[in-house]
Amino acid sequence: MYNRINYRAVFEKTGSAKYISHLDLNRCMQRAIRRADLPAWYTEGFHPHMYLMFSLALSLGAESMCETMDFRLTESIPPQEVMERLNAALPEGLKVHAVVFPKYAAADIGSAVYRVELESSDVQALAAEWDNFAAQPEILMEKKTKRGMKEINIAPMITVLSAEQTEGIFRIFLRLPAGNEANLNVSIVTDAFKKYAEQPFSIVKAIREKIFCLNGEEFS
Amino acid sequence: MLRKKVESVIMEVQKPARYMGGEVGSIVKNKENVDVRFAFCFPDIYDVGMSHLGMKILYSLINERENYWCERVFAPWTDFEEVMRREEIPLYGLESFDPIRDFDFIGFTLQYEMSYTNILNMLDLAGVPIFARDRGESLVPIVCAGGPCACNPEPLADFFDLFILGEGEEVNLELMDLYKEMKDKGASRSEFLRAAAQIEGIYVPSLYDIAYHEDGTIASVTPRDNAPTVVKKRVMTDMDKSYYPDNCVVPFTEIVHERVSVEVLRGCIRGCRFCQAGFLYRPFREKSTETICKQAKALCDNSGYDEMSLSSLSTSDHSDIVHMLDELLKYTADRRINMSLPSLRIDNFSEDVLERVTAVRKSGLTFAPEAGTQRLRDVINKNVTEDEVMRTCAIAFAGGYTNVKLYFMLGLPTETDEDIIGIADLAQKVVNLFYDTPNRAKGKVQVSISTATFVPKPFTPFEFEPQVDNEEILRRQNVLRNAITSNKIRASMHVSEVSRMEAVLARGDRRLCDVVYAAWKNGCKLDGWDEYFDGEKWLAAFEECGLTPQFYANRTRSYEEVMPWDHLDYLVSKKFLIRENQKAHQAQTTPSCREHCAGCGANSCLGGACF
Repeated sequence: MYNRINYRAVFEKTGSAKYISHLDLNRCMQRAIRRADLPAWYTEGFHPHMYLMFSLALSLGAESMCETMDFRLTESIPPQEVMERLNAALPEGLKVHAVVFPKYAAADIGSAVYRVELESSDVQALAAEWDNFAAQPEILMEKKTKRGMKEINIAPMITVLSAEQTEGIFRIFLRLPAGNEANLNVSIVTDAFKKYAEQPFSIVKAIREKIFCLNGEEFS
Repeated sequence: MLRKKVESVIMEVQKPARYMGGEVGSIVKNKENVDVRFAFCFPDIYDVGMSHLGMKILYSLINERENYWCERVFAPWTDFEEVMRREEIPLYGLESFDPIRDFDFIGFTLQYEMSYTNILNMLDLAGVPIFARDRGESLVPIVCAGGPCACNPEPLADFFDLFILGEGEEVNLELMDLYKEMKDKGASRSEFLRAAAQIEGIYVPSLYDIAYHEDGTIASVTPRDNAPTVVKKRVMTDMDKSYYPDNCVVPFTEIVHERVSVEVLRGCIRGCRFCQAGFLYRPFREKSTETICKQAKALCDNSGYDEMSLSSLSTSDHSDIVHMLDELLKYTADRRINMSLPSLRIDNFSEDVLERVTAVRKSGLTFAPEAGTQRLRDVINKNVTEDEVMRTCAIAFAGGYTNVKLYFMLGLPTETDEDIIGIADLAQKVVNLFYDTPNRAKGKVQVSISTATFVPKPFTPFEFEPQVDNEEILRRQNVLRNAITSNKIRASMHVSEVSRMEAVLARGDRRLCDVVYAAWKNGCKLDGWDEYFDGEKWLAAFEECGLTPQFYANRTRSYEEVMPWDHLDYLVSKKFLIRENQKAHQAQTTPSCREHCAGCGANSCLGGACF
């Protein structure tokens, strides 16, 4: 029997790393841990594999400043050193901000905050359309559920924290439900707005900034 | 600039990571400090090309030179091609996102004939004139190719400025050095090509005039401008001193082979008469166990892969195989690295080797008897007996295996229905053996038979042989189907029309360039993918050009006929190939090179015997 010590890496997934799918991220991280020569703990079944857990999936194409990955080591290594070794082995766009001993479980996650930046020739008109869009009592969108595609009203799930205009960019901060109970991908919101808005725009950025627990504390 | 444009549309396509670069191990340089830029193009999609060993070697080799920069380029899948054409995104290098039409070299690797239309499509996407004659006198870009199919590059001769014959580790750099020197002097394209033709291993097709007889066969090949009468392939004579990378690009997205490739030897001692690689890559040269272990460890440490493949034409023919596996296992076992040996020979597959391969993880077992009867196996010089097949399977079944894959060919020279029924018989005997094994694993046995249509290839003793026509192949497939009675045997048979086109292109002459062009114009691409191959379009292309596939595929060629590749020297002599062809027709075998030198001629580059 090996020791097993739980660690959690908080990392960003930005730039070209946003094109790494959730499944590929798992493989990519396994290889980084091997390159970093960290003593990873493997499951003990018939087909042993490296234990890795990502708390919250991120949609392909979205960026994040706060992804988390849980893993186990068979030796105690200071978190700071684990972070440094991982960062030396990771590709551009994946960068560990902190390695901690996990406090909350994935099941405790309740919501996430996103920053969305839209580029448009007429930002003012786009902002006005956004206000009307967000004020609707009902926004029906197709969403993939365990039982196939289902039409749901996403309006009550969207909390607009703030919105601002700068040169050519319309920036929105959103809070969306996340975790096991209810989950809404930011891409569904931008798709819904794309269908609604008459003013053409392109998405410059969709980035997850923070993950919160059901109790309101930041997930860590 | 281009990167931003690609980013704005890339989420429209499947697997965007194929097109975005940025992988661990990819090499990005400051182009201000680079003198020569090389676009290494694999004429198939990322998932296939990224698994290719040759590209890994040559990519690292070129990039070791500070002032040279090699980038990777792949064929886009159809969804991204559509977007590229719509948005006018030219084909770009994955490292820099610069259009490859501005690179000094655009180099393709020719791995299989059915990728030829992809080459034309990629040149078109790059915005480079498809015919070499339309590229003018400016030096940039030089369009070149190497790889196994360069042994008969004639069906592509009009599209390429030059071909690189044999192993590229030395000659690629020599070519780039010459280019840099002549570019600095302001040389023209034709001046450069004439000079390049003087490097051993470089074939400049535009410097050779081909004359034909009335019956369509070749009358003569005449070099111009001092080009050599015969172009000889390049060989690395000492594998321990030959360059091998200590790192590789690790893709984000899943590719065909997710593993480190450690090359253990080049060439093959076996001399199976149908196998082109077995002759093209002669002479036999192996790396020492020490070199193999050193290279394996560096690649695993640097890439983080958890699987290692020992690659060669026949890994178990390494003279030190058991000791080598033991040494490798010392490193791989506690690092949980799975070892795979894709090319195991059925006849020397010993218990020792099996034990070592399964030490980490058990995978399926694959054998290639190639023919169903001993007589036909003797014809093709696949020196495997039924006893050996059974003995190996017995070891495997006792060792816990339940799946066996058997590979065969249909349409081999001299094949009769008896040989075909022999395939089903052999598979049945393997099934029976499983149930006769006392300490077998629980459950059912599964024997999979896979048959391919035989394709005669240049530089093999069967280069003179006709390919059996499609109708007859379909009949033979049925003979096999009807001979299988057990539900433990599963048979899969390959589309024969693809094999015929492969046979045409493999032994084609320069007149086929127009056919390849017409086929691509008719919409042919991704011909290696069953869902895209369209035989009708190819046949239409032949008709447009007034040629027939039968002339190339289904005709017996005399020993005296001038082959389209006769002015290329792969060290194996035509006399030897004729001798082997005659022995085949008498069902006489030739022992392995290690037992007895067959006098193929390849050892001339070593200055003495291979062993």
